[in-house]
Amino acid sequence: MDLIRDHFLNPRNVGDAAQPCFKAQTGSLVCGATTRLSLQVNEDQHITEAKFRAAGCEFLIAALSILTERIIGMSTADAASMGNNGDAIQAELKSDESHSHCIELACDSLLRAIREYSNATRDEWNGDEALICTCFFVSEQTIESEIKKRGLTTVREVTQACNAGGGCGSCQPLIVEILESLA
Amino acid sequence: MIYLDNNATTRVAPEVLEAMHPYLSSLFGNPSSGHELGRQMKSAIENAREEVALLIGAADPSEIVFTSCGSESDNWAIRGVLANHPDKRHIITTPVEHEAVRNMCRRLEQDGYQVTWLSVDRNGELDLAELSDALRADTALVSIMLANNETGVLFPMNEIGEIIRANSEALFHVDGVQAVGKIPIDLKTAEVDLFALSGHKLHAPQGIGALYIRKGIELPSFIIGGGQEEGRRAGTSAVPNIVGLGAACRLARTDDQHTRISGMRNQLEDRILNNFSNTHLNGIADRTKRLPNTSNISFELIDGQSILARLDHAGICVSTGSACHSATHESSPTLQAMNVPYALAQGSIRFSVGRYNTEDEIETTLRVLPKVIDELAAISPAASGRSA
Repeated sequence: MDLIRDHFLNPRNVGDAAQPCFKAQTGSLVCGATTRLSLQVNEDQHITEAKFRAAGCEFLIAALSILTERIIGMSTADAASMGNNGDAIQAELKSDESHSHCIELACDSLLRAIREYSNATRDEWNGDEALICTCFFVSEQTIESEIKKRGLTTVREVTQACNAGGGCGSCQPLIVEILESLA
Repeated sequence: MIYLDNNATTRVAPEVLEAMHPYLSSLFGNPSSGHELGRQMKSAIENAREEVALLIGAADPSEIVFTSCGSESDNWAIRGVLANHPDKRHIITTPVEHEAVRNMCRRLEQDGYQVTWLSVDRNGELDLAELSDALRADTALVSIMLANNETGVLFPMNEIGEIIRANSEALFHVDGVQAVGKIPIDLKTAEVDLFALSGHKLHAPQGIGALYIRKGIELPSFIIGGGQEEGRRAGTSAVPNIVGLGAACRLARTDDQHTRISGMRNQLEDRILNNFSNTHLNGIADRTKRLPNTSNISFELIDGQSILARLDHAGICVSTGSACHSATHESSPTLQAMNVPYALAQGSIRFSVGRYNTEDEIETTLRVLPKVIDELAAISPAASGRSA
């Protein structure tokens, strides 16, 4: 049985993660599909539980089933990188262009749930240095020193220099602020 | 396989295949040829023409012209009438027409024609007063289908024809593709000028259609070429397909199976609506105002595309109005026009029964469906699982 059919007919990880969890709800105005994805993340930033619900086509349901299956045990940074790489999943599912939207929606709901985690972690962080990128644990101080040392001007350059902003993307507005304050 | 998608296309009937067979082997002549083989072809075509005329109640077989499909018939009818009346720039139609009419009218709008799109209500029905009000001196054409392909809702063709005749000089074109073979039709008692039909909806092969052109109306040829079909439609006649359409019309006329088909549809519809919570019938509940074979049912909060895919896996063929299903991600224009809420349109499934379905197949479908719906409902974000 092919991958899509298998995951569509026997979806893994259906439901809601145990509380407290990090949860994202998405909906598409394009195709009308809705999703809910929830994560449990441990102290080492690794995903211990990933659950989803969806009302949508077979590609959306299969993509969410596959994503949740793969990210369990991953760091949030690695999971975010998977969510940022919808093309790879699309290629693996051998989906044609007409379903790229469904797979993007699945990836988007994963990224949103990770952002929920990242934002909460950043708020709760009480280390010595302000934490900006929670996916790759990059502090404000590190980002500032990279910007100054290399004369960086864009978020993309900062990500290339120290990984910050390269995961779920939730800290990119903060990196913009840092860039502006140093400009 | 259980095929409940007979509004999409139908299986070629054994009687049709049998009738066509000689014309795909030994009887291979060109009906325009002057020799005996050609004459045999010509006579086969004329027999088929008579069968089509009988099924739709045309006054004379010469009113039937063969085309390649329903869309060609619709396109030709609309373009032809407009070409005949260059001074008239107004068209009346509905938003629930088949694409062959709807998209043609959209194109004409872009080309500067004025199009009045009559509204339908939540039941999918027209307000005929709106039609009377819309008719103008410069209305060239009214194009309104007989039966809707998605919901099976019937428009009152005879009444519409009378309103048009009484109030204007506009011609009346009917897309009858979805109705022919499914309900009795008698064009000689209706004020209909043009009427399109398609073979593959009534167990003839794909690639054959016809346009009824009321006697006295001459449409400019849509395809330019030879003088086939009395100069009305160029292109070598597709004899095997024409013979197939004739045989299919004979079958529909002599053995319509309407009672058996509507019995199966009613079973399916009643038991789905009664046994499932959160289901809604799309289209008027009064079955005398719908095709006898069609049920369009919405399953709330479940995506129709996923229902279709699960039923497909179980060997059951249906169709859906879900936006995800269409290449353009547009949810069903018919359900949109009926103001069916988006969430319901998304979960719509069309069951269309045909003469080769059996009661056992309906029972099997009713047995498979609850599992499909329950499992998809359990996945839905609307489901109350472990609280999140």
